[in-house]
Amino acid sequence: MRYLRLLGAFYRTSIQTDMEYRADFFTRIIASLLGLLTTIGSLSVAFTYTTNIKGWSFSHVMVLLAVYYLMDGLIETFIAPNMRNIMAQVREGTLDFVLLKPVVPQFMATLRTINIWRIANILVALGLAGYSISRLSLSVGLSEASSFAITLLAGTAVVYSFWLFLVTLTFWFVRLDNIEQVIWQAFEAGRYPIEIYPYWLRGALTYVIPVAFIITVPAKALTGQLAFSYSFVALGMGCLSILLSSAFWRYGLRFYTGASS
Amino acid sequence: MKYWINIYRAHLKIGTAIMFQYRFAVLIWAVWGFVGPLLGLAVWSAASSSHGGNITGPQGATFTDRDFAAYFLVFMIVSHLTMSWDAFEFAFRVRDGNLSPRLLKPIHPIHGDLATNLAFKFVTSTMLLPIWALLFYFLKPSLPPPNWTQLLAIPAILIALVLRYIWQYSLALIAFWTTRVEAINQFYFTLDGFLAGRIAPLALLPGWLGVVATYSPFRSMGYFPVELILGRVPSDQILSGFLFQVFWLVVGVGVFRLMWAGGIKQYSAVGA
Repeated sequence: MRYLRLLGAFYRTSIQTDMEYRADFFTRIIASLLGLLTTIGSLSVAFTYTTNIKGWSFSHVMVLLAVYYLMDGLIETFIAPNMRNIMAQVREGTLDFVLLKPVVPQFMATLRTINIWRIANILVALGLAGYSISRLSLSVGLSEASSFAITLLAGTAVVYSFWLFLVTLTFWFVRLDNIEQVIWQAFEAGRYPIEIYPYWLRGALTYVIPVAFIITVPAKALTGQLAFSYSFVALGMGCLSILLSSAFWRYGLRFYTGASS
Repeated sequence: MKYWINIYRAHLKIGTAIMFQYRFAVLIWAVWGFVGPLLGLAVWSAASSSHGGNITGPQGATFTDRDFAAYFLVFMIVSHLTMSWDAFEFAFRVRDGNLSPRLLKPIHPIHGDLATNLAFKFVTSTMLLPIWALLFYFLKPSLPPPNWTQLLAIPAILIALVLRYIWQYSLALIAFWTTRVEAINQFYFTLDGFLAGRIAPLALLPGWLGVVATYSPFRSMGYFPVELILGRVPSDQILSGFLFQVFWLVVGVGVFRLMWAGGIKQYSAVGA
């Protein structure tokens, strides 16, 4: 309960800061719409020649794209700003100020700020999802909606853990900000159905950098192509990844040499 | 002439030294250039295999899997050699006033920037060469037998480099009026994606989009040299391709001069 109140305070203060840069919201909306336009345009050119690509219709790919943008928005709004902060704090030794606070360090470090204007991506994604679902004239019932919510939550948990794992590595290696670029480069592949990639890349995108798990799976859940029971498997994987990465973080913290120690 | 050679030599030396200092970070940035073409290749070869093995455009140009591999790999290299990112840098400099000391120098800042750009390409291309070679080995592109017209791609790439550079720099100058250029840049990259052949070979664009792409400056910035290397330009269209390049280059230089003259009066950093 106390932690929920704290979270509210964290988010309130960071939204207040962002309110000073309101024009950023429009920049983000425009940038995200144009990025979307490029991807949709390139897909629709490809789809003028064929009605399905490896079993995916145009509208199904649109749903996938919406999930991609949704995930991108969630990461940039809630996860990435904190993780970038931690990397900077470890380098500069200012993580001390986080560790000294009378709360669980992981909570304080990974949920401290949000980047509210990145919500633009989430809004654009929700619009696209609504539009493409109505085009498919899919009936999204309670089971699709809940299985989508569960798999999306699980996907977010996996992203969070993956990033926490990387951040923990900075306790030993200090400079890892370039790794973030590599991860984003792999994340780009999530724009398209995993089936279009060659066999070895599909494996890498499923098991090494779990792009398929965080994007393709929720998209399939939303369009009813996923067995409901699988969403519980996904949820289990999400929980497991959180547990493992938190344990690794606590282990890594012991190796942190702050500015004062 | 000797004056300019000396200036560029000095700038290139500094630029190369800086790039070597940050070689790892620079390499990771350069790898971004792989993402677009490889994704394009994945989409198009999946589309062609779902369509019976090949795709024929409205004008009759046919692409198989291995043609797509050739197209996107060559495009990746040409795009790396001609790219520029100065629009981002320039807006920063206008915003934080870092442009001021550069204006005090006796030569136009564009020369130093162009030299840095060339140094980046020199350093990264040598590092990327083995990766490119591996990609060519594994993706098995179908390349045409070597012939003399492919050598014309060298001047075409050089013109494309300067052309893209001057247009992007002109775009960056909008920062004099607006200070923020992210949205404008994104718009430019969207156009570039469609009209330079980044998302698909221009020969496969449908209807009006294909017509626009034929006459736009973006064709000269990327697609034309790529097609020369792939031997897809009919011999009676080579000359007109070069004329288009030169035409857009002249227009670009004109626009740049006008915007610079107007923009520099707008510039209002501390001390300017």
